[in-house]
Amino acid sequence: MFDGTPDEIAKLVEPGRIHRRVYTDPDVFELEIERIFGRAWLFVGHTSQVPNPGDYITTELGRQPIVMVRHRDGTVRVLLNRCTHRGAKVVNERRGNAARLTCLYHGWNFDTDGALLAVTMPEGCAAGFDTRNFGLAHVPRTGEYRGFVFASMAARGPSFEEHIGPMKANIDDLVDRAPDGELALDAGMHRYVYRGNWKLQVENVLDSYHVPFSHASTVNKKGEQFSRREGDAKGAKVVEKDRTADAWKTRRSYIVGAGHGWTSNTALDDSKRSSPAFDEYKRVLAEKVGAERAAQILTPRLHNSLIYPNLSIMGLNIHVRVIKPLAVDRTEVTIYPIRLVGAPASMNFGNIRLLNVTHSAASFVQTDDLEAFVRCQEGLRSQMTDWVDISRGLGAEEPDRETNATRGSAMHEMVVRAQYRAWVGYMCEAA
Amino acid sequence: MDDAARLPAPRLGGIPGIDRLPFELFLIHEARLLDARRFRDWMGLFTDDGTYWVPAVPDQSSPFDQASLFYDDRQLMQTRIDRLEHPRIHMQTPPSRTVHLIGNVIVEEADKAAGEFLIGSTVVMVEYRQDHQRVFAGHQHHRLRRDGDAFRIIQKRVDLANCDSAFEAMAVPI
Repeated sequence: MFDGTPDEIAKLVEPGRIHRRVYTDPDVFELEIERIFGRAWLFVGHTSQVPNPGDYITTELGRQPIVMVRHRDGTVRVLLNRCTHRGAKVVNERRGNAARLTCLYHGWNFDTDGALLAVTMPEGCAAGFDTRNFGLAHVPRTGEYRGFVFASMAARGPSFEEHIGPMKANIDDLVDRAPDGELALDAGMHRYVYRGNWKLQVENVLDSYHVPFSHASTVNKKGEQFSRREGDAKGAKVVEKDRTADAWKTRRSYIVGAGHGWTSNTALDDSKRSSPAFDEYKRVLAEKVGAERAAQILTPRLHNSLIYPNLSIMGLNIHVRVIKPLAVDRTEVTIYPIRLVGAPASMNFGNIRLLNVTHSAASFVQTDDLEAFVRCQEGLRSQMTDWVDISRGLGAEEPDRETNATRGSAMHEMVVRAQYRAWVGYMCEAA
Repeated sequence: MDDAARLPAPRLGGIPGIDRLPFELFLIHEARLLDARRFRDWMGLFTDDGTYWVPAVPDQSSPFDQASLFYDDRQLMQTRIDRLEHPRIHMQTPPSRTVHLIGNVIVEEADKAAGEFLIGSTVVMVEYRQDHQRVFAGHQHHRLRRDGDAFRIIQKRVDLANCDSAFEAMAVPI
């Protein structure tokens, strides 16, 4: 029996290890859906996906279907995608434009702010039926920062500012690369699923320790990964004499509470980056923001950032990744290429082209991680060894005054421990 | 007689005077190379500026402004194949086994002077790996250039029926 009491939760997570049940127990998963995905600030979408009034996208928060739609007044609304009459999903397409949201079943008609406009055959309505009580439900809380829209299914809890505040600089790092200072998530998406728990992907995005081994097949005889950014002649050196390369080992990880974190040091030489597309982009950026600021922007300090629990922002070969739990052993991930608004089309194509080979379902890099997740899920069926070790670098964390964060070696597991501290916090808090 | 039956007899596809058989044999040859995991020989079928494209949405108009499942030029194809031949490609340990079936081959366009042809066909690929079998099906288009008795691929485009769905990891070209 698992009732989800704080005592039971606390027993699953120790300072340097976690019980395998956090990955394999369907009861734990149900509780995560309720207490994490039913409560935390989750990334929903980007305002550039709904540029015009009536534009919408549909997705799920946890398992709840929602629609993010731009209303006539220009505001972006996050609504429960569920007819208030008999429960049918109202909007069925992944994206589109509609002046009204009309339910297929009995034709109830909703405005793009959720208000119920009209009921078919109103003469049959019960006495006292009031359309004002039957609008599409709004997600209790929403927040937006530079186009990134988040929502919380809980009416109370840490404010959007408290949650996202420490990670704003990481969003800025990406958005500032656009000469016009804005991003567009309008270049399609990559979608993949794997037979494994959602946290395997969340833990992986800030894991630098696995790269020389999991991604061995992406490394050439000189120990360098293939080039992953427009303008790079070669990729990062990750292997030296059959061991992890020293340059790779110097990477650092950072945590700032709430499970958030990032990794630094791309291990690439930004001063040598050059190609016709990149040089033109550099020129346009400098023209907009000045040469000094452009040079700063083009020396990125971030590799990958995690806004716990469902969003990762990749600063290396730029993209946004959203993690969606489907079942205790099944997860879906969506990856959006990013168009830097104001950058030359050739530069944006460079990003799209390289993202195809690093993170599509048929890519060279992501697919190795998916294989690792599947094998973890299978291995974790073992009952004689119940504990998963996350103790690398335990006690070696130190304060980083520059970023007001805690830092450690990226070869350590500080970031995973931080994620589980946040996990325990969500899971132990009474509804 | 209903309206549909009053329509004129359909014009069958193909180009008068151009036999589809050599093209069909070429596509069968290509499919056999992929099933035999002779990826390097498969790459050799492409022209130097040849591309292999599997769009990620139906009717995708361009690989340049939208994500694709595959959009490999020769350089990326080379990286992909180096990786497929690498002893530590974990997601191909054990390797996939595939069966390609090519059908409905038709010559859609022909420029005899330039020796260039657009060939439409359907492809079904069954992939098996470690107790999991799955099916990919799609319409494909090969833009070919005559090279002696055979052809080179200028572009191969595969439009999968489920191109915009969420996939488990894919290793081998369709």
